[in-house]
Amino acid sequence: MSRSLLLVAVLSFAAIFSAPASAAESVTQFALPNGMQVVVIPDHRAPVVTQMIWYKVGATDDPPGHSGLAHFFEHMMFRGTKAEPGDSFSRLVAKNGGEDNAFTTEDYTAFYVQIAKPRLKLAMSLEADRMAHLDLSDASVTTERDVVLEERRMRVDNSPAALAAEQVDAALYLSHPYGRPVIGWPEEVHRLDRTHAQAFYDHHYAPNNAILIEVGDVTPQEVRAAAATTLALVPARPLDPRPTYAEPVRLGPTRLAIASPDTPVPSFSRTWRVASYVEGTPGRAEALDVLAALLGGDSNAVLYRRLVVEKKLATDAGATYDGDARNAGAFSVYAVPRPGVSLPQLESAVDAVLAGFARTSPAAADLAHIKTQLVANDVYRRDSQLSLATAYGQALAVGRTVADVQDWARHIQAVGPDAVRAAAAGALVPRESVTLYLTPGKP
Amino acid sequence: MRIFALALLSALGFAVPALASTPRTLDIGPGEEVWFQEDHTVPMVAITIALPAGSVYDPAGKEGLAAFAAYMFNEGAGPLSSEAYQSQIANRAIQLTMSPDRDWLILSVSTLTSQAKDAFRLIALALQHPHFDADAVERVRAQMLQAVQQDASDPAIVAADHFYSVYFGSHPYGHPIDGDTAGLMAIRAADLKTFAATHWVKGGARIAVSGDIDAATLTGLLKTTFDPLPAVAPPAPPPVVHPGHPGETVVPMAVPQPTALFGLPGLARADKDYLAGYVANYIVGGGGFSSRLTTEVRVKRGLTYGISTGFADFHQGGLVLGQVATRRDAMDASLAVVRQVLADYAAHGPTAAELADAKTYLTGSYPLAFASNVGIASQLNAFERAGLPLEYVARRNSLIQALTLDDVKRAAARLFDPGRLTVVVGGSIATAATGGKAARKPAAHN
Repeated sequence: MSRSLLLVAVLSFAAIFSAPASAAESVTQFALPNGMQVVVIPDHRAPVVTQMIWYKVGATDDPPGHSGLAHFFEHMMFRGTKAEPGDSFSRLVAKNGGEDNAFTTEDYTAFYVQIAKPRLKLAMSLEADRMAHLDLSDASVTTERDVVLEERRMRVDNSPAALAAEQVDAALYLSHPYGRPVIGWPEEVHRLDRTHAQAFYDHHYAPNNAILIEVGDVTPQEVRAAAATTLALVPARPLDPRPTYAEPVRLGPTRLAIASPDTPVPSFSRTWRVASYVEGTPGRAEALDVLAALLGGDSNAVLYRRLVVEKKLATDAGATYDGDARNAGAFSVYAVPRPGVSLPQLESAVDAVLAGFARTSPAAADLAHIKTQLVANDVYRRDSQLSLATAYGQALAVGRTVADVQDWARHIQAVGPDAVRAAAAGALVPRESVTLYLTPGKP
Repeated sequence: MRIFALALLSALGFAVPALASTPRTLDIGPGEEVWFQEDHTVPMVAITIALPAGSVYDPAGKEGLAAFAAYMFNEGAGPLSSEAYQSQIANRAIQLTMSPDRDWLILSVSTLTSQAKDAFRLIALALQHPHFDADAVERVRAQMLQAVQQDASDPAIVAADHFYSVYFGSHPYGHPIDGDTAGLMAIRAADLKTFAATHWVKGGARIAVSGDIDAATLTGLLKTTFDPLPAVAPPAPPPVVHPGHPGETVVPMAVPQPTALFGLPGLARADKDYLAGYVANYIVGGGGFSSRLTTEVRVKRGLTYGISTGFADFHQGGLVLGQVATRRDAMDASLAVVRQVLADYAAHGPTAAELADAKTYLTGSYPLAFASNVGIASQLNAFERAGLPLEYVARRNSLIQALTLDDVKRAAARLFDPGRLTVVVGGSIATAATGGKAARKPAAHN
């Protein structure tokens, strides 16, 4: 029962699979007169609909000194309106056989409802109501702030690995708010009050800042008709402009050595600030996706084969690329040593693998296989309404287009061997990196 | 807005949409049961296979054997080395997950239609001719031992491991599915081989398939996969004699937020009150944001991010298991609210309105489980594992609709007596400045 999905692990996983092999799904896009963007993708296999509303506001929009506000506010969206007070939103959805939840990241906040098709209009009217008429009270703000602090304890404070990951992000971004945790620093979360929540709502939650995705047993005509008397009636509002931040070039690498008595097993990781799909030159982000899959997508990838199976230095090793961001993307490698193997030994072995990728282009057969895997995920994604809705919502929320999502597979197929080598050599440079040694012991 | 919603609700009643297509059984021979739902919308096939190979069959002293064998499933088979096997899976974009639980090994496979034949060939190879090569055995052993070490720092996992131990005592349900250090160290390749030979069998296997394949083709592929396997099901595990150990156990850990697991004896699937109990549980703790426990502990008091209860069904009987995590100085208060809510619920049961809402949720959300091939295969397999007939898929909603308030009150009284609660807390508790607390005994093991 999560009310929010903070860490981008799941989302970066989804990012790898961002788009159809042959644009097999039929996508209709239009805008409502109040500025809300709408995407409809019919899937008539079961009489249910998945509705997602994506607001183009996230933790990067938290005011200085108030980190965690966007995420906290996501929680407040479930605290009632004048017409539907208290926890009526979730109660009504449940009474009508639906499921609902929400999540917040650096760049966006998304809310979803999965419900039987005849209840689609109810789902829209409930979203319209809380988009326009949220009723924030001091009492609900105080209680929900406690809930968020419990959420932080569960996800972060209880876990040395999560605390260390927070420090890596803070070190990676010299100035950009991607360096702040989405859930917020605890002392800043304590400060959040009703006034902050109200200002945030007034300036960011509006139809002209939202994307509606409907996937399931619906047609574009039905969505238009249901929206006409619900979401389309919410008036547009003036928005706060989203600040743009400098991302100064890093002049040197950072190394973090974190010792924690609650860490039973040491680990090594390195994270680079790299181009995202939005920022990268054409083909660069796709090459990074291919590189991450070749290096460390699964137990068949090079890092696992070399370190875990062949050299027996590690019990686990892998790589990830998160390229779905308005600003910088992030690329990471990690490895967990076998007992008796030191972290410097492990790091050298990882470095040797990385140097190989920077020096030599991947073999044609390996490249073909990895593309097959990446592109197949477009088919698997079509099996899940939520995955499909997420792929399109996420892309549109960071400024990409429906066409970008649909052309992704073609762009992946176009990645040549030298583009992968160039990405390894050009993007995974020491100065843009933070290396972490997390070890058991006294801090 | 509110009027609109209420108007809808009164009309809603029992207008639950039908499922788009219906499953059927396939006869591939005696022993295994196969349910199949055909749908050609997406060019893929989802397969869920449950084998009688859960941790309940671990021999004493070799705790973790079933899981160890499960994680060896893709480490080489027939003519294929571990590397060759995993390459063939990956290069065909086949998705394979091995999930051992207490009763079953559950294999989840997704394949593109174009690779379905190879997917079954690879599953068949692993089931019929698994390797337990020394190199892979030692690699997986190292991974499992390290996971045991990691888990010891996670309060939710520590609480769960201790809960099962306290609740089931010396019964083989009592040890962690992934074993413990001593058990994992004692396991030899020959143990793994014997376990696979006696538990990766068609006797008692449950199989569900959904997607883009026709019955004749699927029947042929399943026969080739399962026919050569032994038809004998493993002997049933021993019965659970005295489930539960009322009282509270704290496993000390220096974490900011301890997790409590709390459990009560549940109902067997065959019990006449099973569905009434399922609905009763939804109302008190299973219903996400609308449950009584969430309302009292999270929404009103802000004590936790999440609290829930659920049915954990085992061959040998049911368990109602709840979980709540909160800061150290709020655990006593949270558990006091839990006890109070359960006591009131056992005494008075749900209101008529709560029952009506539970019915519309449970019946209305049922089609959501059938919206994808992966969901369908998984849901059908869960019904098969519970020993239900195929007709149950269509009848399930009408059975829930037919429950009366008395049925659910009776089930609530049977299930939610707080005096029978077994509570285990992973993580040290700090006493709040005010309020007393019950005496506790120290952890049984640490």
